[in-house]
Amino acid sequence: MPGVLDFSNVTKDYGIPWSRRRIRALEGFTLSLERGEIFGFLGRNGAGKTTAIHLALGFMRPTSGAGHLLGKPFGDAASRARIGFLAENVALYHRPARKLLRYYGGLNGMRPQRLQLRSSEVLRQVELELEANRNVARFSRGMQQRIGLAQALINDPELLILDEPTSALDPLARVTMRELLLEANRAGKTVFLSSHLLSEIEMICHRVAILDKGRLVKLGRTEELLISRDRYEVVARGIPTNSFELSAYSLPQVRGLPLDANLAGDGRVQFTIPAAAQRDALQRIWSLGGEVLSVNPVRRTLEEVFVELTNKGSVL
Amino acid sequence: MKPVVLMAANFLREHRWPALLLFAWIALLALAAADLTRRYSAPEDVMFYITQQAIFICVFSAFLAADAIHNDRKSKRILLVLSKAITRSEYLLAPIVGASAAALAYALLFDVCCLWLTDRAHMPSAGILPLALLVMAGSILAAAVSLFFSTFLNPYVAIAATVLLFTAPGSLHLQHHAWSAWLPGFPILIKMIDLKLAPYATISWKTILIAMAQAVIFWGMAAAVFNRKDIAVPVE
Repeated sequence: MPGVLDFSNVTKDYGIPWSRRRIRALEGFTLSLERGEIFGFLGRNGAGKTTAIHLALGFMRPTSGAGHLLGKPFGDAASRARIGFLAENVALYHRPARKLLRYYGGLNGMRPQRLQLRSSEVLRQVELELEANRNVARFSRGMQQRIGLAQALINDPELLILDEPTSALDPLARVTMRELLLEANRAGKTVFLSSHLLSEIEMICHRVAILDKGRLVKLGRTEELLISRDRYEVVARGIPTNSFELSAYSLPQVRGLPLDANLAGDGRVQFTIPAAAQRDALQRIWSLGGEVLSVNPVRRTLEEVFVELTNKGSVL
Repeated sequence: MKPVVLMAANFLREHRWPALLLFAWIALLALAAADLTRRYSAPEDVMFYITQQAIFICVFSAFLAADAIHNDRKSKRILLVLSKAITRSEYLLAPIVGASAAALAYALLFDVCCLWLTDRAHMPSAGILPLALLVMAGSILAAAVSLFFSTFLNPYVAIAATVLLFTAPGSLHLQHHAWSAWLPGFPILIKMIDLKLAPYATISWKTILIAMAQAVIFWGMAAAVFNRKDIAVPVE
């Protein structure tokens, strides 16, 4: 069954003017979006994120491979009536906000009565109803970005494709944008979100894909990506501090353990250990008369995962 | 069709200042040709005005359409427009419709100015309406041709290519061949240059229909080229 947005082994090469050289922006890219999810799309500058989005919208053709947007091949105009798109560095015609929204809605074939209603709704959603009659040319960058989001929402789309939607927003506006996306998702919309702001992706995305040099290096549920299988966090109590340190140094597999240890006021000790040293560390704690309170995989930040993957360049 | 009309209206709005400037130009030159200091206008001045303005309106339409794609791509506004439910051929039809609407307004103003001038110069005015229709047809064709060239050329080069296409047969003295009636733009240009105002005039329906058919063909060719373009790639 086709997903909301499917890429199937898509490769995209760009030609260089006056040269035979070609730059590969995307290589063998395969991805499928599930209906109703918020999907985070990560990658460094030039990783191929925007190229993938532009391919999905039919702005360019893949060099090889194929893809489907809402069940139709990329480039199908009718399927675009059911999506909302916000471009990175949104460029708008210089018109009053409400008229501009009606224009973009009209391009999707919306009727005037519905446009009247929806333009008021989305202006309220992006908190610009008081600026409805002002020309967007006089808007700040952040306000223009919000109008950009409003035009993406005007047709009540099934799928929202957002390319760096929060790049020009201040922290408060980012919170508003985040709430808007969550609200849209609760209303059943699928959200495809490309962003550099890893903390935001971490907060709201159900699944994440990381792209590096045009290749997909990681794809998975956000929670799973953040959990490290290499290191565990152990919380114990009842270990005499001095013996604990001595014992730690005497245990070859957990060498360096006390360096990570964090002594809490109530006598609890918290430390991380390599997965391979788990059994030895626990036995050592018990042999010293200590009590193991919990052993959990270490939760990393998305930033740590991202840096690790994009520096290493491992391939899925 | 509604999205095309919306885009055409937006196109005209984006070009409102140069378009209004041409309106003023047509009216001001009519005043100059009328020579209000004299009781009657000089027929040779009136003929010069009529021929010059007829050609000028066609050239302006070519200018208007040639930078439509380039402007939208350069500003990246094209991305939001083409992310909506419109095809690229519809997108290309908008500047042609917009330029045609502008040409209709110019032709009307031009018609009024010419009637006034011919009246002042005591010249027959029967040929003015047929000429205005030729101006309309020529403008639509010029817009379609320059739009076609602009799908793969810089707008200025596209305008030069359009002018060359319309005028080159004249330089090669091809007007005496019967098949020259099928060359794009050339028969209209010849009719404008060789214009003679007679008491009776007929509308050149054949020339107009051929020009309209050619405009459709050029629009189709423009769509074929533009469909293969990576529109998100920045332009200089």
